[in-house]
Amino acid sequence: MNAMLELCVSTLTQGFIYALLSYGVYITYKILDFPDLTVDGSFPLGAAITGVLLVQGVNPFLTLLAALLIGAVAGFVTGFIHVKLGVRDLLAGIITMTALFSINLQIAGSNLAIERSIDTIFTSGPVMLLMGNASLIYRKFVVALVIAVGVKLILDWYLKTKSGLLLRAVGDNATLVTTLAKDKGNVKLLGLVIANALVALSGAIVCQEQRAFSSTMGTGQVVFGLAAVIIGTTLFRKMSFMKATTAVLIGSVFYKACIQVAISLGLPANLLKLATAVLFLVILVLGNKQKGGEEHA
Amino acid sequence: MKKFFALTMAMVMAAMVFTGCSTTTDNAEATENTDTAVSEDVPVIGISQYGQHASLDNCREGFLLGLEESGLVEGVDYVIDYQNAGFDDNIAQQIAQNFSAKNVALMCGIATNSATACYAAAEDKNIPVIFTAISDPVEAKLDSGNITGTSDKLPVEEQMKLIREIQPDAKTIGILYTTSEPNSVSAVREYEEKASQYGFTIEALGVTQQAEVLQAADTLIAKDIDCMTNLTDNNVVGVLPSILEKTNDANIPVYGSEIEQVKIGCVASAGIEYVALGKQTGAMAAKILKGEATAEEMPYETVSSFETYVNPSALAEMGLEVPASIAETAIDVTVTE
Repeated sequence: MNAMLELCVSTLTQGFIYALLSYGVYITYKILDFPDLTVDGSFPLGAAITGVLLVQGVNPFLTLLAALLIGAVAGFVTGFIHVKLGVRDLLAGIITMTALFSINLQIAGSNLAIERSIDTIFTSGPVMLLMGNASLIYRKFVVALVIAVGVKLILDWYLKTKSGLLLRAVGDNATLVTTLAKDKGNVKLLGLVIANALVALSGAIVCQEQRAFSSTMGTGQVVFGLAAVIIGTTLFRKMSFMKATTAVLIGSVFYKACIQVAISLGLPANLLKLATAVLFLVILVLGNKQKGGEEHA
Repeated sequence: MKKFFALTMAMVMAAMVFTGCSTTTDNAEATENTDTAVSEDVPVIGISQYGQHASLDNCREGFLLGLEESGLVEGVDYVIDYQNAGFDDNIAQQIAQNFSAKNVALMCGIATNSATACYAAAEDKNIPVIFTAISDPVEAKLDSGNITGTSDKLPVEEQMKLIREIQPDAKTIGILYTTSEPNSVSAVREYEEKASQYGFTIEALGVTQQAEVLQAADTLIAKDIDCMTNLTDNNVVGVLPSILEKTNDANIPVYGSEIEQVKIGCVASAGIEYVALGKQTGAMAAKILKGEATAEEMPYETVSSFETYVNPSALAEMGLEVPASIAETAIDVTVTE
């Protein structure tokens, strides 16, 4: 098989899976204007839950549902600490993230491996029925694509509903929400719940894809999410036809592609992160230049 | 939806352009990525190292030596594609996928997270994976399948015997460890289980990140411990020099878990020599490359013998000396250096 094609497919797969996390960060950071650090904890939380349930023989698709729910709880906790207890937004996220580190260890231990004999969403149920003959890498690709696009469409729909419009209003103009006789605190809470449910779902799929959970897998995820959101929305901000969620999805793929390029360039291994950073910068600057460049990324 | 599909395709094509390869090459060879110009027939060994770390570096060096000592020649029998994940799980995953896409002949994962990522990426193609520097391959579920390697499980009992030789009156051993490092957690468990056989009690203190290690060291020193022993805990070993400053002030000897730690000031260690561990791994990899055995057939190996390392000047500072019973066999790191 063509190595380059395969590399692209697996990079896209990664981008799609992590797009779910990026949607979550998009909701909190872009829509709610809430820098939510819960992500570093809710991502491995989703992985821990799905990992433990898989090992116990639960249907892999059901474990995703469990991850969604528990991620929602994590988001609720951050929201509660911020809205009801009056703790500042950054600190509320830090508190939940810190607590989740211990909770994740309690749930799954420091590392958890899922044997190849255990079925995941990529090796069971409708996936095998529809494309059991395709190689695993393509199955992963299609599943990730369907989930990423499906969630995107649901999110697009939701943001147009009354509840979704209120969500958008809270970030832009909180006073408006109050004049509509709605509690802006509750709207924020809802946003955090949705965002962290998506983040946990992303973590759960990564866990199934990697067949492993590690307690450190959350480190740096919020940075990834922010980068994906900012890259996506910066690169495509002049394209009015494109939905922000689409831009975020592409931003996520883009980030993963940058890392893969840096790996593929065969630079000295220790320069990998520097190379990734330089690639980002170049692309963002070029993107800015093309479109007038008066705004900052 | 159409727009979206078009965009996705655009991304795929863009990614192809970035990686500098045209889609028309049907050949699955991986020439574009390796530094050395590779002819198609030379098998590629992808080495994925979890991070930059003296022990892991030694493993890699040893691995390369092991390949050479088995009679294989780099550039003729194999080429190396070495990648380092910088302790980032996400990058470790992408490195492994890179290897898998390039259809490398063998993946070598150094440390648990890299090996796990390699094994996941190799699932569909059954590319053999070889690992090293993993304490507990059984718990990591890397003990069966087309995978094998070497374990760096600490010689806990040897270490306690050594401490008893050097400090016959010691009662309490202090241990600092990271609660999220599985290797450390299982080592602490083993210490706690076996300590009473050697007349010790264990005072273990867990941290969650490197920033907390020095605070924890102060707490531990205040607990009236007779000595401290290290694990292969990256967070703790990373700030070892600062820990040693504190313990030296408090006159508490610190025992290392491998030679590098004794070199920088630990008094002694019954430990693993990672270059040797790497060599053992390299020899196993050579067997796979030569077709003498498959990874599936070979069980994972542990270090067959442990060396005793001592640092006489560090011992002298603590008012201790190398006991006669081990003086002959122990390796003086200040001399070999």
